Amino acid sequence: MMRRAAVGLAGVLLLASCGGGTATPSGNPATATVAAPKPDIKIGLATAKSGAANFYNPQQSNGALLAVDQINAAGGIAGAKLQLIVEDDGSVRDQGITAFRKFIEQDKVVAILGPTLSAVAAGAHPVAQAAGVPVIAISNTGLGIVGKCEYGPCDWIFRASLGEQSAVPETVKAATQKLGLKKVVIIYGDGKFELDDLTIFKEAFKANGVTVSKEIAYTAKDVDFAPFVTQAKGENPDAVVASSLAGPAGKILDEVAKQMPGKRVIGGNGLNSAALLSNANAGLMVVGTAWSKASTDKTNTDFVAAYKTKFGADPDQFAAQSYTAMIVLADALKRSGTATDRAAVKKALEGVSGLATPLGAFSFTTDHDVKQPTFVMTVKDGQFIPFQ
Amino acid sequence: MAEQLYNAVFIGSIYALFALGFALVFSVLDILNLAHPTVFMLGAFVALFAIGTLGLPWFVALVVAVLVTGLFGIVLDRVAFAPLRRRGAPALSSMISSLAVTLIVVRLVELRYGGDFITFPAGAVPAFVLRVGDATFEGIRLAIVVLSVALMLVLTYVLQRTQLGRDLRALAENPRAARLLGVDVERAIAATFFVSSALGGLAGVLLAFAYNTLDSKMGVPLELRAFTVMVVGGMGSLPGAVIGAYILGFGEVASLVYLPTELRDAFAFGLLFLVLVARPTGLLGQKSPDRV
Repeated sequence: MMRRAAVGLAGVLLLASCGGGTATPSGNPATATVAAPKPDIKIGLATAKSGAANFYNPQQSNGALLAVDQINAAGGIAGAKLQLIVEDDGSVRDQGITAFRKFIEQDKVVAILGPTLSAVAAGAHPVAQAAGVPVIAISNTGLGIVGKCEYGPCDWIFRASLGEQSAVPETVKAATQKLGLKKVVIIYGDGKFELDDLTIFKEAFKANGVTVSKEIAYTAKDVDFAPFVTQAKGENPDAVVASSLAGPAGKILDEVAKQMPGKRVIGGNGLNSAALLSNANAGLMVVGTAWSKASTDKTNTDFVAAYKTKFGADPDQFAAQSYTAMIVLADALKRSGTATDRAAVKKALEGVSGLATPLGAFSFTTDHDVKQPTFVMTVKDGQFIPFQ
Repeated sequence: MAEQLYNAVFIGSIYALFALGFALVFSVLDILNLAHPTVFMLGAFVALFAIGTLGLPWFVALVVAVLVTGLFGIVLDRVAFAPLRRRGAPALSSMISSLAVTLIVVRLVELRYGGDFITFPAGAVPAFVLRVGDATFEGIRLAIVVLSVALMLVLTYVLQRTQLGRDLRALAENPRAARLLGVDVERAIAATFFVSSALGGLAGVLLAFAYNTLDSKMGVPLELRAFTVMVVGGMGSLPGAVIGAYILGFGEVASLVYLPTELRDAFAFGLLFLVLVARPTGLLGQKSPDRV
């Protein structure tokens, strides 16, 4: 704790010294001839380094760091370096809000990336909205993050993480066509993400003429998933849908493999987890993802290679998304021609179109949501591969 | 239907195995050991370390995990409870102190293994499956069912019929009188923590084997269940905890089968409420001097 406090204090002092170096116009002709270095462009990243969602790190921080390093190595934005300030959102709403307030009031950042969880974003994003600071959500896939938000207007919020409204219908369409689905059962959790997914799955199956014959709820407190799958088995469905996070999904996969051999498990972004790859039954899953490591697009292969060189490990989707968000922001900063005018940066972000990123050609919709390809995947030999 | 009955027995057995260690410490020492879910998790991770890093076979890993968690229980008592006991601190202090140990151990495990769930190396976990017609019975699950009942019987026997059991019961009744009667109180307490934590560790390893999944928070969902089964069965009664565990297991599965999903928790906790109205001390609960 002491050490953390000391590091924090050192960070604050460092930031204070950076702030002190801001160039101000001077009437003195002797100093005016020396070109002062441009002040850094500060960007905040709120991410879950601790708490329930801490397993998204270090990848989520690393992705953004890699992009910043590459941009700075290439000369920065019109000669100014990017400075990434990373704060832990603790996977909880209040800490996310505190991080956002610090970015806005103390660090005076030009834009913010994060926070990790949708539930934290629901608290933190309104802070940025009220202050007029552009935000790019890098891992929030639930409903109400952009476009129509419960807390009112959210026009300062952008999203670089493929929402479930986009990914799930693509997944359902592909699964229905290739597996000839007529009837499915949905097993769903009671969290916000899972309930949002349930709604989206139901609509998508309806649109594809597939009957959802039963919806079976579990709670975060449930430890054993055998009874839920036994209930699903009683319906004799063509496939089981897991509207869940990765932990329960692993248990559902195992139970389906045991109790309903030959059936597939269709899932949302919750199943898109590297931790599930080591599951012996991961090959049963069909999941729509925002990124594929196997994509041969040059921007992606370059990203994967650079990440591996810098961090000594493969990137995951969360790294790819935070990297992409930073590339997108840099593109907007370049076009806006400003390092401080947040409204100009927001306007430039709205103009991002067809940008080459590891996620594919990247644009924002008029609702500020991401427009990119969906990769429908399954797993083979511990790797995500395209579902065919 | 038979499959759901089996599922219910299995779930009840998990709750029982977990609750036994929890109930033991409470019955003897009047301490709600909030570090018990952490000991449970620690057992699973020690087994993972033994299998994944040391390359030991699963049955050796199981024994190692049980011994390590048992010893951890003694350390836990020395560090978190004994200093407070010596100063006559209130029960709340012990709860907070055990919570602190939980936070520290969970964080240490996360530093080594991360916060996400992980699995054992492929093929490392015993996978014996018995198929009867359309239904499947896994060896590990059957073992959990048998062990939870067997351990309850063994523990009850030890407490009722052995010298250690008599010492523990004397301790539960009145620590001061027990000391005057020549009971080695510190040894008895250490034995309680060893057995309780070894049971918790065993439960953790078996559950991690059964699901081939472990994570740093795996004990958390079981904690509330353990409270519930202890209250239903009678605070401090070991057979009561096991019976309570099966009632909760059957209640949960029955509500899944017969009721709309929204009413599941209402059913389980409604049952708890009914038991308490009918028998405020729980099914096998007795007034404090007679328990254990």
